[in-house]
Amino acid sequence: MDFASTTVIEDLSFDVRRGETFGFLGSNGSGKTTTLRALLGIYLPSAGVLHIDGRPFTPEAGSRLGYLPEERGLYKKESVIAVMAYFGALKGLSKKTATAWSMDYLERVGLADKAKTRVDKLSGGQQQKVQLGVTIMNDPELLILDEPTKGFDPVNRRLLMDIIEEQKRNGATVLMVTHQMEEVERLCDRVILLKNGRAEAYGTIPEVQNQYGGTMIRMSYSGDIPASAHYDISTRDRNYAELTLTDSTDEALILRDLVAAGVLVRSFATSKLSLDEIFVSVYGEQNEMAAR
Amino acid sequence: MARHNLRTVIGFEVGRTLSKRRFWITTLLVPIGIAIVMTLMIIGNTSAASTADAQADAAMTFTYSDASGYVDPAVASKMGGTAVTDDAAAIAAVKAGTEDAHFVYPADPSADAVQVSGVDKGLFGNGAYDAVATQLLVLSAQNEIGDPALAELARGNVSVDATTYADGEKAAGFMGVIPPLIYVVVFFLVFTLLSNQMLTSTLEEKENRVTEMILTTLNPTTLITGKIISLFIVGFTQVLVFLAPVAIAYAFFRDSLNIPELDFSALTFDPVQMIVGALLAIGGFALFTGTLVAIGAIMPTAKDAGSLSAVLIILLIMPLYAVSSIVSSPHSFVVQVFTYFPYSAPLTAMLRNAFGTLNGWEAAVIIIELFLLAALVLQLAVRLFRYGSIQYTSRVSLKTVFARTRSDVAPTV
Repeated sequence: MDFASTTVIEDLSFDVRRGETFGFLGSNGSGKTTTLRALLGIYLPSAGVLHIDGRPFTPEAGSRLGYLPEERGLYKKESVIAVMAYFGALKGLSKKTATAWSMDYLERVGLADKAKTRVDKLSGGQQQKVQLGVTIMNDPELLILDEPTKGFDPVNRRLLMDIIEEQKRNGATVLMVTHQMEEVERLCDRVILLKNGRAEAYGTIPEVQNQYGGTMIRMSYSGDIPASAHYDISTRDRNYAELTLTDSTDEALILRDLVAAGVLVRSFATSKLSLDEIFVSVYGEQNEMAAR
Repeated sequence: MARHNLRTVIGFEVGRTLSKRRFWITTLLVPIGIAIVMTLMIIGNTSAASTADAQADAAMTFTYSDASGYVDPAVASKMGGTAVTDDAAAIAAVKAGTEDAHFVYPADPSADAVQVSGVDKGLFGNGAYDAVATQLLVLSAQNEIGDPALAELARGNVSVDATTYADGEKAAGFMGVIPPLIYVVVFFLVFTLLSNQMLTSTLEEKENRVTEMILTTLNPTTLITGKIISLFIVGFTQVLVFLAPVAIAYAFFRDSLNIPELDFSALTFDPVQMIVGALLAIGGFALFTGTLVAIGAIMPTAKDAGSLSAVLIILLIMPLYAVSSIVSSPHSFVVQVFTYFPYSAPLTAMLRNAFGTLNGWEAAVIIIELFLLAALVLQLAVRLFRYGSIQYTSRVSLKTVFARTRSDVAPTV
């Protein structure tokens, strides 16, 4: 994907499996939104195409797609119900079905009394709820959400996450861009980390955690920890140490070897790097360089 | 699906425009204004007729002196006049209110003014003096001529029914000019009414940040086509609303408004001229609409777009300033430039077509030029909309838009 002479996304390929929730992660400016726009044909990419069930995506091919863009917006001078009915019709619903669905949805999100209110008379959060409704009203098979919780308070964020989980339970495939790592850990089956337009990491969350340091052992002890090909000693401070495993050796075997080497182990706990820590480690360096 | 979406877009765009109170307020202002003017005219005409009747019924007495010798004393007497020789005494009688008026006819009434002195009867009432003084002289002259037909001829009341021939066939004349001129009026009216809406129709998606949702739901060509058709429907509705009071006035108040009866059967419709006019109007409409949509797509706000669209409107109306040359010297350099320059071509060519100075090959070249350019501009507009309308806060760089070309057939992403 090029902008004039600048290549923004390069050699990026990934698949999202039916029914899974896929996290699309990256720092600001890493190319997430541009990738989505290129996939959806909003930008014409210099190469590449979005295939859904093996068929190239076109807006009017009848694909059941729901897209919530990062830039939120609706027809502001129209009533909520008119806008929802319009998008419903564009997504192939009859006016009656779209209106009935919209009223049910507005009831659920606490906006039933705003159905005939002009969109620009709603608060930002209320507009976002309406826009989410527009996104999911065609019962999408593929739901693409670009920072869906941006601008939501905690209560409405929970409501939104519930709706997304419900869509997932109903069989929707969800591709989600977010900076909220707790949301990713809660919802996503697999993720991709984008850096400078390329995939930095790609896979299930445990796979990505393994890729970025894998399992870490935090232990308090007495004695000397022997060197090993199975781990690196990343931190050693008096009687505390952190060992980062370099392969998939079972933690119990490590403990057995340490004890066999005469180390008196007082506590021994394994943990993995959180996605948040991985994110900071991947993009922190980039941000520091940018700051310089 | 595309056809369904086109219908949906048209329904939404037309529905929301026609359901707006502001649309009807601005649209109804014109017919309401026309209705008010017509009402005033009816009241005015009724009042004038009543006044004229009252004046006719009122017995006016006057004195007159006649240095010309043209005034017939018998006619003057019938109208309530009495000949006098002392103008000063007669004017004094008027001042005293004992006589209504005194007229002094000069030796040569065709060169010098008739002097009228009268009792003030208000702005409208005073008109009666001029009328009576003039009528007395006219009736006296007719009496002198003796033959009413000669008298009418002397007044220049001659009707001429001219028949001209072109290539051995009876030429339509002015009645053949009017029908193709309708295209000029409709084109100008529609463009004047809709240019702002054309400009802002796609800006709305941009300003409201709706573009991304739209572009993943329907093809931008469908959206823009739907918007153009909607604009045409809205414009047609406006024209109907504007014309309604005129049609009602013609049908029911023609006499009150002194509207002459129009003989539509005299109009001559030349099929070739009508087809050429229609093609020029459609091609011009498509070209201007596409251009306005393209301008709307690259500008961040309606205000920014306004300055560029003003240039377009100037180009459109420029031929109207040269209309006398277009009619009288269609082959002059300026008219030729206006005829072939795409943005002045529609009006110029439609005017020349109406007046019969646009020959076949010229019409063909201009029609092809307009349709080809309109197709190109519409494609450009769609492309600019696709990329420009998600540049929410800045003007689109054309270089960037055209740089985004698919370089190869790519593997699956």
